[in-house]
Amino acid sequence: MLEATGLMVFYENMLALNNIDIRCEANQIVGVFGANSAGKSTLMYTLSGIMHDIQKKEQMAGGERITVMGRIDYKGQNISSLKPSQRAKRGIILCPERRRIFKESSVLENLRIGGYLASPAQAKKTLQYVFEIFPALEKIKKRMGGFLSGGEQQMLAIGRALMAQPKILLLDEPLLGLSPLMQATLIKATREIRDEMNIAIIVTEQYARPVFPIVDYGFILENGAAVMEGIREELMNNPDVRSAYFGVEET
Amino acid sequence: MQILIYGTINSVALALFALGFAMVYGVSRLPNFAHGALYVLSGFITWTLINSLGLNYLISIVLAMIATGIIGALIYQFVLIRIRGMEISEIMASYAMGLAILEGLRWGGFKGMTYTLPAFIEGSTSIAGVSVDYQRLLVVGIGAAVVALLWLFTRYTRIGLALRGMAQDERAAMMLGIDSDLMAVVAMGFGSMLAALAAICLLPLGNIVVEAGYNVLILAIAVCIVGGLGSWVGAVLSAFLIGFAQILTVVYLGAHFQMVVALLAIILTLILKPSGLFGRQKELEERV
Repeated sequence: MLEATGLMVFYENMLALNNIDIRCEANQIVGVFGANSAGKSTLMYTLSGIMHDIQKKEQMAGGERITVMGRIDYKGQNISSLKPSQRAKRGIILCPERRRIFKESSVLENLRIGGYLASPAQAKKTLQYVFEIFPALEKIKKRMGGFLSGGEQQMLAIGRALMAQPKILLLDEPLLGLSPLMQATLIKATREIRDEMNIAIIVTEQYARPVFPIVDYGFILENGAAVMEGIREELMNNPDVRSAYFGVEET
Repeated sequence: MQILIYGTINSVALALFALGFAMVYGVSRLPNFAHGALYVLSGFITWTLINSLGLNYLISIVLAMIATGIIGALIYQFVLIRIRGMEISEIMASYAMGLAILEGLRWGGFKGMTYTLPAFIEGSTSIAGVSVDYQRLLVVGIGAAVVALLWLFTRYTRIGLALRGMAQDERAAMMLGIDSDLMAVVAMGFGSMLAALAAICLLPLGNIVVEAGYNVLILAIAVCIVGGLGSWVGAVLSAFLIGFAQILTVVYLGAHFQMVVALLAIILTLILKPSGLFGRQKELEERV
């Protein structure tokens, strides 16, 4: 469904993504794991096209020179040069790192802004669905985005992304800084979303253990390069992966 | 009583000047220094439509608003979009566009005392012993209606919500499929239409002169800085603050101090609370 080949991103001369090939099939959950600065967010920004915007703004402000190379195909179409809004229209929706909730809007309004691409009927249906999978959101729907806890913000960010009618949802570090309980809730919801909305999901995370059970296929990023990839069982049985991303010491 | 009535009228007028400016800045972070020029331009467009083409007053008003909106959007689409995000260049380019419009009008012969728009309704009434003409009352009514409509527009329509999203976090809005360039053009179009609306309400109270463009710009900037750049609520509140301060100055100090009030308000705000009453400078904390 989504296939990126030979992705390379340079910030000035620093290589942030090194020749990455990544693919995600319809209805699949793909995990991308890596430490801080491994290039996870850069990858997500590149796939969603936000990198184009960052590049343009940096260029205008005379800041960093960012170079993006490689090719992204989506449903057999080359989308490498499309703007983020055009990619979103085709169904590639990014739920960004740090969530980026609209702080001065209420929960409901955040969701309604998210429904920009949806028809009124779709928006209504999806809004109901979001409140179904995150009942906590319905109780606080009048509260301002800036007053939400981290977990609530993350639920809202995912809900807002769903409102944009994704066909492939990019979740960038959805579990960052959340309690194990909230992590479990979100992981369960992620799987439900995949099953019930029939969409593909690419999820990045530093620590693989909570996400791994729902992942179909995984990539391990290190210093901008994909050092390993494989179906869940393959990665799970690899001793290096176990020690680095599961905290399991082999004896 | 006189102070109360004329203070309110003056405040609403200031709010009308400033809302367009605040809207453009709020959505696309563009300090639109051509705002005053668009204000004057729409006045002259209306005058031309009525007097040269002989159109009905109401039709001319609607046409002038649409034309000004389109001109604003075109300025953004063809000039300002290229320097998006470079604040100093944006100020210079938009001010240059404003200068070109204003001085172009002056060069084109639009000067002198002959250019006036008729009032919507002639005559005056008296409220609690103070005589007020209908046009001024109408300004208050239209101002209140504009604020209410803007509030509804930004909360209940698809485009309005998208503009609100853009205003808060442009990149997050992009991720949801909102085309930021298109929205910036739309915001500039609406902002220009608001400038035109202000012109059409307020110009019948006097002559249309090119110099008004510069004054309106300064007043709009003063209101927006005091209220906090980009905040619409702040703009309305600070319009009342400055509006009443101006009327009090006129009553107790003399009319020629009126313009000083706005400039003094800018200076005081920048010294005491640079982010303004409802500024967004809190965002700075997060970036650190």
